[in-house]
Amino acid sequence: MPGLFDVEESARRVGNYKWAEMKLFETLGGWVATVPELDVKMRLGAHCYHHAWHAELWHKRLPELREMNPDRLTQPANDAMVRFVEVLAEPEAAEHTIEKLVGVYRVFIPHFIAAYTFHRNNTSEITDAPTIRSLDFALRDEFDDWRDGEMMLQSLIETPEEVDRAAAHQARLEKIMLEAGGIAGPGTIGGA
Amino acid sequence: MRKFFPVEELARDSRFTQINMRQAEADPRTAIVGPSAAKRAKVNRLTPARPDASEAARNLMHGIFVGEIQALEGAGRTCHDFELPDSKDPKATDTVPFALKLDMARQAWDESRHVEISVKLGEWMGSEIGQFAENTVLFEAACSTDPVMRLAGVNRALEGLAIDVFTTMKEFGEIAGDPYLEFCEDWMLADEVTHVKMGSDWLRKVTENDPERRAKALEFQSIVDRLFSFGGARSESDDSPIGLARRFRELAGFTTDEVDEIADVSLAALEARKAFSAAAMSSNGTASDES
Repeated sequence: MPGLFDVEESARRVGNYKWAEMKLFETLGGWVATVPELDVKMRLGAHCYHHAWHAELWHKRLPELREMNPDRLTQPANDAMVRFVEVLAEPEAAEHTIEKLVGVYRVFIPHFIAAYTFHRNNTSEITDAPTIRSLDFALRDEFDDWRDGEMMLQSLIETPEEVDRAAAHQARLEKIMLEAGGIAGPGTIGGA
Repeated sequence: MRKFFPVEELARDSRFTQINMRQAEADPRTAIVGPSAAKRAKVNRLTPARPDASEAARNLMHGIFVGEIQALEGAGRTCHDFELPDSKDPKATDTVPFALKLDMARQAWDESRHVEISVKLGEWMGSEIGQFAENTVLFEAACSTDPVMRLAGVNRALEGLAIDVFTTMKEFGEIAGDPYLEFCEDWMLADEVTHVKMGSDWLRKVTENDPERRAKALEFQSIVDRLFSFGGARSESDDSPIGLARRFRELAGFTTDEVDEIADVSLAALEARKAFSAAAMSSNGTASDES
């Protein structure tokens, strides 16, 4: 049966995913040196690779979707996504581990899960099976990493003030993501 | 977040005490000249037969642990610090190919596991995090603004040293009858060979059409190699605590000539240390006490 996406639309989304996964793994890699908590440092290193691998999966999928120059479609969905990543990567100080983790595990990764799940459920099971296989691999990592991140956050947030800090940063990022319309822009999870 | 993170700002919890190479070299317990030099004259390959074997092995294991943290941080920073090549400026030296970033992310994951393994091995050997000072020299080598220098200094020189260290520790575990140490070191050694090979391959590929840049990178690697041959701490002689793992280095992309050069530099450093120590013992009249 036909899916919701034709080849061009699938390639456009995959290009947006690759761009977003790249920005995420670069940010996670950069933050490793800036967090003092040893357990967080180790998890960021592992998760950095998970997202690099997702970017590689999407990089390899693009030529199969008739995009022979993968760099051409490796683009942010829109300017708001660029701004989202800038604000996500803003915290650097050693005292800002909570903000770093909130941005990734309470905002960015839940949006990846939503985007990938929508794509998984609405593309053709037969014609787009290779994308579905990659989405399944990526989704498994996203769920595992989200759980790790939430565990780390709950262990770090110990006071009402820290709850407020986490919530404020989450709200700031969510508003930008709302403007972006999701990782693949408006229509990321339908309704555009 | 800034590009290029300074070594002085590496984030650590309160258990850690950081020192630089200069401070490490000034440590009287490991100095190669001065009053304590004579006591080091008998320093030789790390084996269970050495009277100070337990403490020396714990010290080395802690050194591996903090080295793994810095290797993790360095690989992560290389994912972040450099942009992808711009087709309008193909000769730029501050960009890295996408596939190189992927390799660095893979290395970050490997080093994360090594940190975790090292924490557990440290506990197993009876030491605690922060029991020994952390020399931040590895991350210093990962601070270069030229990614090729990082490959040469970190992946080739320092990860190459890690091959030597893991081989020595694996042998130590084997002789001491410690299957946990032997097992873990062997797995980490496999990863390190991969990391050095990544460095060797990328160094050649990125500098394929830029012999001058390649020569500079190899010169930097040589400087780092010399730094870690200081005092003959690593050589093919049994008088050095750490051996030179020739076979694994060749698997990792070192040519025979390159390994020979490191062997020569290391041996020369060892001979220099012996000469200093002999002179110190002679002037202190301690030679007979050391036998």
